[in-house]
Amino acid sequence: MASISLDKLNKHYGSLHHAVKDVDLEIADKEFVALVGPSGCGKSTTLRMIAGLEDISGGEIRIDGKVVNHLPPRDRDVAMVFQNYALYQHMNVYDNLAFGLRNKKVPESEIKAAIDRAAGILGLHELMKRKPRQLSGGQQQRVALGRCIVRNPLVFLFDEPLSNLDAKLRAQMRIEIKRLHAQVPTTSVFVTHDQVEAMTLGDRIVVMRDGRVQQVGTPLSVYSKPVNRFVAGFIGAPAMNFIEVTVGPALAVTADGLRLMVTEPAAQALGAYRGRKVILGVRPEHLVLGEGAEGRSFDCVVEVVEQLGSEILLEARLGGTRITIARVAAETAVAAGDRVRVSAPPGRLHFFDAETETAIVG
Amino acid sequence: MAMVRRPLLLGWMPSLGRRTLFALALFAICFLFAFPVLWLILTSLRPESGVYYVHRGTEFTLASFVEVLQEERLVQAFVNSALISTLATVFSLLVTVSSGYMLSRFKGPASSTWFGTIYVFRCVPYISWVLPLYFVAQSWGLYDTYVGLLLPHIAVHICFFSWLMKGFFDGIDPSMEHAALIDGCTRWGAFLRVALPSAIPAISALGVLCWLFTWNEFLFALILTGNKVPMITVVMAQFVTEMGLRWNLMAATAVLALVPAFLLALFGQKYVIRGLRI
Repeated sequence: MASISLDKLNKHYGSLHHAVKDVDLEIADKEFVALVGPSGCGKSTTLRMIAGLEDISGGEIRIDGKVVNHLPPRDRDVAMVFQNYALYQHMNVYDNLAFGLRNKKVPESEIKAAIDRAAGILGLHELMKRKPRQLSGGQQQRVALGRCIVRNPLVFLFDEPLSNLDAKLRAQMRIEIKRLHAQVPTTSVFVTHDQVEAMTLGDRIVVMRDGRVQQVGTPLSVYSKPVNRFVAGFIGAPAMNFIEVTVGPALAVTADGLRLMVTEPAAQALGAYRGRKVILGVRPEHLVLGEGAEGRSFDCVVEVVEQLGSEILLEARLGGTRITIARVAAETAVAAGDRVRVSAPPGRLHFFDAETETAIVG
Repeated sequence: MAMVRRPLLLGWMPSLGRRTLFALALFAICFLFAFPVLWLILTSLRPESGVYYVHRGTEFTLASFVEVLQEERLVQAFVNSALISTLATVFSLLVTVSSGYMLSRFKGPASSTWFGTIYVFRCVPYISWVLPLYFVAQSWGLYDTYVGLLLPHIAVHICFFSWLMKGFFDGIDPSMEHAALIDGCTRWGAFLRVALPSAIPAISALGVLCWLFTWNEFLFALILTGNKVPMITVVMAQFVTEMGLRWNLMAATAVLALVPAFLLALFGQKYVIRGLRI
């Protein structure tokens, strides 16, 4: 069991491409950290540097307090699950699971015991004699997980392990990984572009963009207190609505067809912006359809109605901005073209600087 | 209701007519390739007097084969060709497989220099290597020796087939090797224990191609060997003498030379097709 610390980690590809920029991160023992961001944000590169599959251009990586910058992957005692499973195609499942331990010259009897244990956890007993290409995607990914558990490493690394699976299987495997972490608590780093995976799996999540860490925090803190517009828009589904508003006098922000009161602390923070434009952010699930008091609600015109059975998603137009409203009761009678009243609780409003896009915290 | 899709080619024709046409076309193509071989076999079975009248003789004999097989030099040539083909294949595979792997997996000055080198040598017309090679072989005392013929063949294999091997390895996902690195292998270990076993169909295909290349090769054999190391392709050509052309013997030798190549292609075709399908 081990902690991981990244200190001013940098990765350059040639002189032009700076893939990872000054990443600082402390991961505690047994913690499950999810690195999330759009493709090309440097999250996979960061993971591969921890694994030792990429050279480090600058900075330091420590696993269990030991600097591993120049250690080859085999000496770092990490295990990794790859997006395309990366099972050894010419070996059967048992040999795949045994490969790592055989390399360490562990006696066969111990290997067998370790494999039995892993197979029990993941339900692999039936598959031992099969070759990887005879397995379904979900089974292959379970074998890949098994290969990690068997070795009992200091650290588990996951490189988008669920993105090749279909939606239903992905949800199942997500639960499986969560259960696995509870059963075999090991320091884990999980890379994904899917914010749902990051939110559900991570003890903490790290949001990255363009090689830089944007925010580190528990899923709830990143969701409820995003530090900038990017994080606010990236975390949460459907994505947060952004409306350009002008900070008016007396605790209110205004835009075309919109006048909303803000809370006292937000008003103080917005004081410096009086008369200027800021970005108002409000999550679709925090908007409520129906009557609302003046200053807490606005009118908009429905453009698209998406009936999901459990709820309705509405796409509506407010002046020049398109907004999404979620969690509308499925039985609500609403059609495209309807004019509806939407209320936005003052405590749920976020504000971002129009230029720097950083949060204006109240 | 099942959808009946009209075939793209000649869709307007009735089904039977279309099938007949395709069968005829197929037959014509096969005939085009098989005819010279059939003619060769027929020629080899005719007595010497009958070789110019293959189409209307009725007399057949195995005398040409007997005569050919009694000639010591020819048997020696068969042995030499088989030996050199096999040795060249083994040695060139050792280099070709690792060089293809390097070209596929490693980017950098070493890899691109190597790539450039074999690219240049591939572009040079094959025939223009022969004369310099002859002089080098003469001055190094390698003329008319096994080594003198083996080395150029290995070089040609490497230049021609490293590309194919690179293509094969490009088709194998590198993350398997990365997993092996993390699982405790060195870079060499990952290559030997994970990448190589996955490439066995491709390597078999390459082996067949290499072997056939050297077995069929004529130009190097002609220029770089004399009496001591006769090669089958050269000996075959030597039936053209001042005394006349011994067509029946040449045909018999050619048929015999076809046999190993044919067998190899027959048993190797599964691998060749699987290996070449990237």
